[in-house]
Amino acid sequence: MSVGKKAKNVLYTFVVDPLKIIVHNKAGLIGFIGLLIYIFMAIAGPYIVPLDTIPKPEQRYLPPSWEHPLGTDFEGKDIFSQIVNGARDVLFVAFLAGTITVLIATVLGSIAGFKGGLWDNAIMAVDEILLTIPQFPLLSVLAALTRLDNFTLALVIGVLSWPALARAIRSQVLSLKERDFIEAARALGLDAKHIVFTEIMPNLMSYIVVSWILSMTGAVYSQVGLVFLGFVPFTSHNWGVMINLAWTWGAIYYKNSVWYIISPIMAITGFQLSAILFSRALEEIFNPRLRE
Amino acid sequence: MSFKSVVGKIYRNFLVRRILRAFGVIFVTSTLTFFIIRLMPSNPIEIFINQMMAAYGMSYQDAKALALALFTIDLDKPLHQQYIEYLINLFQGNLGRSISISPGTPVMDIILAFLPWTLFSVSISILASFVLGVITGIIAAYRRGGLFDKVMSTFAAIISAIPGYLIGILIIVFIGVQYGLINYMRGAYSAGIRPGFNLQFISDVFLHLAAPFATYVLSTFGGWMLSMKASTISTLGEDYVTVAKAKGLPESRIRTQYVGRNAILPLFTSLAIQLGFIFGGSVLIENIFVYRGVGRLLWSSINARDYTVMQAVFLIITISVVVSNLLADLIYGLIDPRVRVGE
Amino acid sequence: MAVKTAVKEKEKERRAIITVRNLSVEYRTHRGIVKAVRNVSFDVYEGEILFLVGESGSGKSTLGFALMNLVPSPGYIKEGEIIYHLDGQDIELRKLPLEEQRLFRWKQVAMVFQSALNALNPVLRIWDQLYDTIQAHDPNITREEAYKKIKYLLSMVRLDADRVLKSYPHELSGGMRQRVMIAMALLLDPKILILDEPTTALDILTQKNIIELLKKIKDELGLTMIFITHDLSLAAELADRVAVMYAGKILELSDVYTIFYNPKHPYTYALIKTIPKLTSIDEELYPIPGSPPDMINLPPGCKFHPRCPYAKEICTEKEPEFEQAGPNHYVACHRWRELKFER
Repeated sequence: MSVGKKAKNVLYTFVVDPLKIIVHNKAGLIGFIGLLIYIFMAIAGPYIVPLDTIPKPEQRYLPPSWEHPLGTDFEGKDIFSQIVNGARDVLFVAFLAGTITVLIATVLGSIAGFKGGLWDNAIMAVDEILLTIPQFPLLSVLAALTRLDNFTLALVIGVLSWPALARAIRSQVLSLKERDFIEAARALGLDAKHIVFTEIMPNLMSYIVVSWILSMTGAVYSQVGLVFLGFVPFTSHNWGVMINLAWTWGAIYYKNSVWYIISPIMAITGFQLSAILFSRALEEIFNPRLRE
Repeated sequence: MSFKSVVGKIYRNFLVRRILRAFGVIFVTSTLTFFIIRLMPSNPIEIFINQMMAAYGMSYQDAKALALALFTIDLDKPLHQQYIEYLINLFQGNLGRSISISPGTPVMDIILAFLPWTLFSVSISILASFVLGVITGIIAAYRRGGLFDKVMSTFAAIISAIPGYLIGILIIVFIGVQYGLINYMRGAYSAGIRPGFNLQFISDVFLHLAAPFATYVLSTFGGWMLSMKASTISTLGEDYVTVAKAKGLPESRIRTQYVGRNAILPLFTSLAIQLGFIFGGSVLIENIFVYRGVGRLLWSSINARDYTVMQAVFLIITISVVVSNLLADLIYGLIDPRVRVGE
Repeated sequence: MAVKTAVKEKEKERRAIITVRNLSVEYRTHRGIVKAVRNVSFDVYEGEILFLVGESGSGKSTLGFALMNLVPSPGYIKEGEIIYHLDGQDIELRKLPLEEQRLFRWKQVAMVFQSALNALNPVLRIWDQLYDTIQAHDPNITREEAYKKIKYLLSMVRLDADRVLKSYPHELSGGMRQRVMIAMALLLDPKILILDEPTTALDILTQKNIIELLKKIKDELGLTMIFITHDLSLAAELADRVAVMYAGKILELSDVYTIFYNPKHPYTYALIKTIPKLTSIDEELYPIPGSPPDMINLPPGCKFHPRCPYAKEICTEKEPEFEQAGPNHYVACHRWRELKFER
């Protein structure tokens, strides 16, 4: 097969066909568009809606209006601009943590599945322990002992989150290993690495992409939670910081201030929901049996 | 050897295996905690010593002596000996003394005052959410495509996408503040009431449980429901369900013994991850409702830099997860005869 | 000539126990409607073994389920009637109230499935699955009476009751499980037994044993059996009559002797040629060219014409009628009068 043809095939399997199905899957389409909006917000948001940093005490807790689409906060600053500018921080951690999770899980999961024996036992033992240790308390303790910035936080979340996915990838590898085409490849004398990367990976792709999106939602959960509890320093403006400030300034108690606390919650929920809807649609694309 | 004794032996082996595994995880976690406390570049003992010197002008020797007393650790001994002593202390329930939350009090006493509240609220919530999820999941599967299924599945998908602590905040904002119920959403019981075994206290406790309970249930129920629905739908297609119908069994028996019992099995495999998640989430949810459990205690100890309490709470939360996992495994072993023989 | 009159003699005694008229069964799928059984009519005679033979997807299993009014969702009986003639009554199962349908099943018609591993509930002991069958139809039966009955039937299928009853399905071998299924099917002394590929999932030796067992049951109990299989060679051992199915229709129906020695339909002939003969080693096998039709987009005319070497223009235009080709011999082919097949 020529390179051009192969590229075209890849383009079809991973871009054109999924897009076709996404357009037909209502929930998937909503999730897809939602994610695009969030990504756009993270990349271009700050240039379009600059962060409002000037306190205007006379404009505290204004209701939504054309000037302030989501009202104002306890210092009279615009909430909408905070939401737009907070996207970048949250998405950065989510993206990085999700990517690290998937990388570690894929490598360790396929080693365990492929090599078997001691490798398998060792990786699975670590997997089992990490899976049992509750992640959020561990993150809290680590945050108390060291200073976690966005980058290290993403790194730690990634390093702690791989077990579930690794386990799934391992069992996928084990079952794929039994299939005929792998046997055939082996009979042809192709080495294990070649088999992994050319034969098994395409089969696992669907699984990995879906898990990548789901680990991003997990990372958002942890990051926002840590910021909300004040366990990590406020390095920049993000939705967790907004909830923390709304909470500590008592925004929950006034009718006027409801917008301040609801806005970041809705922003987070919207992201999580879009991601989950989109990943479900992807699952259907990659696994035609789920289609009804 | 009779058939019965062989089966019995295998089952006991399954039990032994699970218990050994649970101990393994606890052992590794405590080892990990020890090395984090002792060896991290800015480990709590050093931070504490420096704090004491800076804040109270203690000499290094005095500060160190105080640290040793509170952490029950002898820094002058070789590391492996410290480690063994730490394990022995741990085994005896000696977790050191509190630094700042309640200076000098044995950490174990503090934990014992907080832990029951977490176990109480979390276990009731898990049970309720599991049962609720399983029942709605089965109903949705039996009536798939119908109104009940559509409404509940959509609701479950949305609710399980929202992090639990945000649901908690929404409950406070939209129910607590709007309906003046906020007093029942702070603490595990009202400030003026004396704990005791009387109706007033017990009803007060349950009133205060309502909001965290609703939060735990809402944030986890969707996941149970959706997996139960999927599992039931695939079980309904199994031959043995068709056989049960062909045998003329009453619908009630088919639903419980043929569909329900088999469909519920896969849920136990995700229980492990869920339990860790729920116990971990208690750190956030207990803080939102100022509920006096170990999650709240972890927050206080981190804020007060009370490292002895902090490490103990972390250990206790992990042990709780391990033990409840073990329980789930044992129940699984009871209802699925196939796992007893080995995985 | 003597044989022929004997057959005719038997003919007169034969009484239909099931009459199927114009039966159509469909499945609704996302791709379109699958017409699994299309306007099928035939009788099942009392005490005979009727074979339904066809490739997978020919609708033979669906027909089996339809007889018990248990077509799995998303399938449904579109039209037609299935009438049982039992104890002097004409019963149309589909029209009975649900509770009466439940009591009718297994008491009158029982079923043995292809894979006994999937047909037995993995979480219940064999005893429970046999006992609940009896209890569903006779709630007042004592455990002792039920045990006596179960033990008798297990010994009939040559199983050690004391060992088997305590076991879970996964603890038995494939052959043992299939014997349990057969015992279970006979538990309520049904008048009719439907066997859906009862030997397909078994190894060749076990298959042989099960066939011997079925022969014995046929001789001892004399019940009516409907045997569904893709393997025409089994018919030679057991069948009284054979119905050959293709694409949801019966193409040929006759006694087993006629089917093997004087087939009228090209498809029947093709099926016979696929059976390996033990007598000659070097003889070639003749697989039927082409593949079974897409059940959603069936070809026009005779559904077999794309694979039929004898197809003419009329075969592509009009679906042939199911006509009488001899005493008790029916065939659906435009050219049955002209075609002669060499043996």
